[in-house]
Amino acid sequence: MEGLVKLSFYCFASASFSLAAAMLCYIAFTVGRVRLQHAIMTTPEGTTISASRAEFSPAPESFGGFGTMLAWFGVVMAFFAVLTRTIAAGHLPISNMFEFSLTFVFAISAIYVVFERVYKTRHLGAIVMAIAFGMTLYMWMLPADMREVNPLIPALQAKPIMTVHVSSAILAYATFSVSFAAAVLYLIKINRNVSWLPGADMLDEIGFRAVTVGFPLLSLVLILGSVWANDAWGTYWSWDPKETAALFTWLVYAVYLHTRTLRGWRGKRSAYILLFGFAAVIFTYYGNYFFGGLHAYGGV
Amino acid sequence: MIDRIWRFFCSVRWAVAEIAFLALIVLIGTLRGSEVPQWIADAIPATQGIVDVWYDWDAFRSGIFAATLTLIAVAIAVCTLNRAPGIWMAISNPTVTTSRGFLRNAEMSARYTVDQDEQSTIEKFTQALQKHRYRVITRKVGNDTHVYADKNRFAKLGTFPFHLALILLLVGGIVGAEFGFRDQEFVVAVGATEPVGHGTGLSLKLNEFIDSYDPTGIADRFQADVTIFEDGKEVKSGVINVNHPMSHGSATFYQSSILFAAQMTVSDPYGTTIWSGPVDLGVFHMTGNEDAAAGFVDIPEAGIRLTVVGPDVNPGNAPELDTLQLKSGQMWIQVQPLGAAPGAVQSTNTEFPSQVLDLGVPANVGGFQITFDRETRATVLQVANNPGIPIFVIAALMMVGGLVVVFYFPQRRIRGMIHAAPGGTAAMFAPLARRDWSGKREFAHFVTNASDLLGSEPVLKAPGGIGDWAAMTHPDEPSPARQKAVG
Repeated sequence: MEGLVKLSFYCFASASFSLAAAMLCYIAFTVGRVRLQHAIMTTPEGTTISASRAEFSPAPESFGGFGTMLAWFGVVMAFFAVLTRTIAAGHLPISNMFEFSLTFVFAISAIYVVFERVYKTRHLGAIVMAIAFGMTLYMWMLPADMREVNPLIPALQAKPIMTVHVSSAILAYATFSVSFAAAVLYLIKINRNVSWLPGADMLDEIGFRAVTVGFPLLSLVLILGSVWANDAWGTYWSWDPKETAALFTWLVYAVYLHTRTLRGWRGKRSAYILLFGFAAVIFTYYGNYFFGGLHAYGGV
Repeated sequence: MIDRIWRFFCSVRWAVAEIAFLALIVLIGTLRGSEVPQWIADAIPATQGIVDVWYDWDAFRSGIFAATLTLIAVAIAVCTLNRAPGIWMAISNPTVTTSRGFLRNAEMSARYTVDQDEQSTIEKFTQALQKHRYRVITRKVGNDTHVYADKNRFAKLGTFPFHLALILLLVGGIVGAEFGFRDQEFVVAVGATEPVGHGTGLSLKLNEFIDSYDPTGIADRFQADVTIFEDGKEVKSGVINVNHPMSHGSATFYQSSILFAAQMTVSDPYGTTIWSGPVDLGVFHMTGNEDAAAGFVDIPEAGIRLTVVGPDVNPGNAPELDTLQLKSGQMWIQVQPLGAAPGAVQSTNTEFPSQVLDLGVPANVGGFQITFDRETRATVLQVANNPGIPIFVIAALMMVGGLVVVFYFPQRRIRGMIHAAPGGTAAMFAPLARRDWSGKREFAHFVTNASDLLGSEPVLKAPGGIGDWAAMTHPDEPSPARQKAVG
């Protein structure tokens, strides 16, 4: 078992380096090439005036291609990290923040490559891979003892429902990361009119589609969490801070979905709501560090 | 007036405001359980007063929270009644006819000129649409054949179960709170039988408590082996652990935690046993020392309240507070008259007789012979009856089912007109897919199929010019915009 735990860690390490490289490639692909143009002019009086300006142009497609390859490699390595740890632990790795984050890294990179394939656009990778890489950095900073596999405490010994509840949360947060990236690129497109970025319509669509995938999943998280809470704690809703933080996130995305039907609220305003929604996701994700309550177990 | 109120409740703008306000209250209530408000006060000292009020205000039990939930529930109900007829009409009896103006001004459209007769053209377009699982309705008006095609038309109904589920969740919560009960600290010592109360006629006996710990000291198993009695008759036996509650009749028992207990015997001066049983320790603690678990039991037969305090379990923590200095195997007891205030345990209180007892050694205290027989354990269960659970389950299914139907099977619609033209037939189609990129892409696939069937390429109008169209129909090639920029 120790061997599998070590293998899982090595796969995670490979995934983190690969995702870091993917992030750099996607950023280069999205930002494009920057050329500094200098102009020098001599006036009749003999004074020399010089000026320079930055000229942006699209980066070569190869940057995006490399980013995709590295992202896929990262997905595969993250998958094996999750798989080997699952075999070692006897349950999906979701019982503490290290395991939860490992599964989240896999989910976010997998969800991203699916969206990339469906919408044929690589620019979202600059942001989504940055989030995935940031998550791996956080994991590197966690105490080393969290990498060990420990038996589940009695409160977590409900494997089927725990697996579905936590997996739904991870997938929901991963899709909201994609909607966040789409919103950021949308605002850049609208404000800067960068020609090589996808159209504003498509970015708006990607943001919406990601939320339509994630919102039902988040609803499932709340429902299954309530069912599990009833079995474990005797009540299906106890206003636990993690519960209410997830409810807050759900309400923010409910606002977003309703504003989609309002004239004048599409476009920029919707994009800002998506940014705020992702802030709510981060708040809920790291909530264990801010508040105690019934979800504060598993070390962190 | 009624019309204004009706429009208020149907307004999406007001619904957004209500949901946003509810989200704000939820955020305030959530942060109350954290140090974030204090961080704000530390950064901006002028806000300390507001932060103090923040910590005092239980947002989730406030009138404003209840009022907002009620407002949203009413808005959902009114909005549902308002929208339902229109949505059903659009599904069952959609408007088939369209106008040339709509087709010309649509964001995306395809115009065909086909060298076939009108009837076979209509059949081929119908075939192309049905291949994509569209329902096709045609209507001849004058020289034009109007075409209406839709798929997943019932998906729009998914919004109703979802929204109604939100109301049902509230109803379930109210029903559970009003008609159910919940006892969060139902303590039963090993070997003891305790009545559940709440009119259930049930009592529970703890036969054995099994716990085990991993090498780091974290519990990995908590199990209570119990027997349930109804009106004195045994009705059920089994094991309760954290994720496996036990139900019987109107009560469900949930494993919560574990306490220790002191098995005591109280006898009269002649040695006749008046009372024997466990005193659960840990429900209270010694005044001033949280590490010394305490408990009490009322013994009506003796007219006394027997208070018991155990040894300090954490002597390294504030040892100056451990005034009793009990060793392992000792208990401190105090005998008070029945009805004394609970938890008021003071080792220096000389008003009532008290003594340190050694394990198994009887002592005369307050006119009684009291013996600390042994240490035992008690399980802490939660007992609850929530008649709102079936309502919750139905609401949960409606909620998730409604969302899946609305989002994962979106409605698609296409309108078109076909008419005879010199040399053949002219046709024009457009999707109802404003700001719906996936809908436009699906329309592009339909156009491709129709073109293959008819052997005729259309004149295309696509959003953002031809580059976007190319990206939609040939996604593996870079768009012309990129080719031009990179080249």
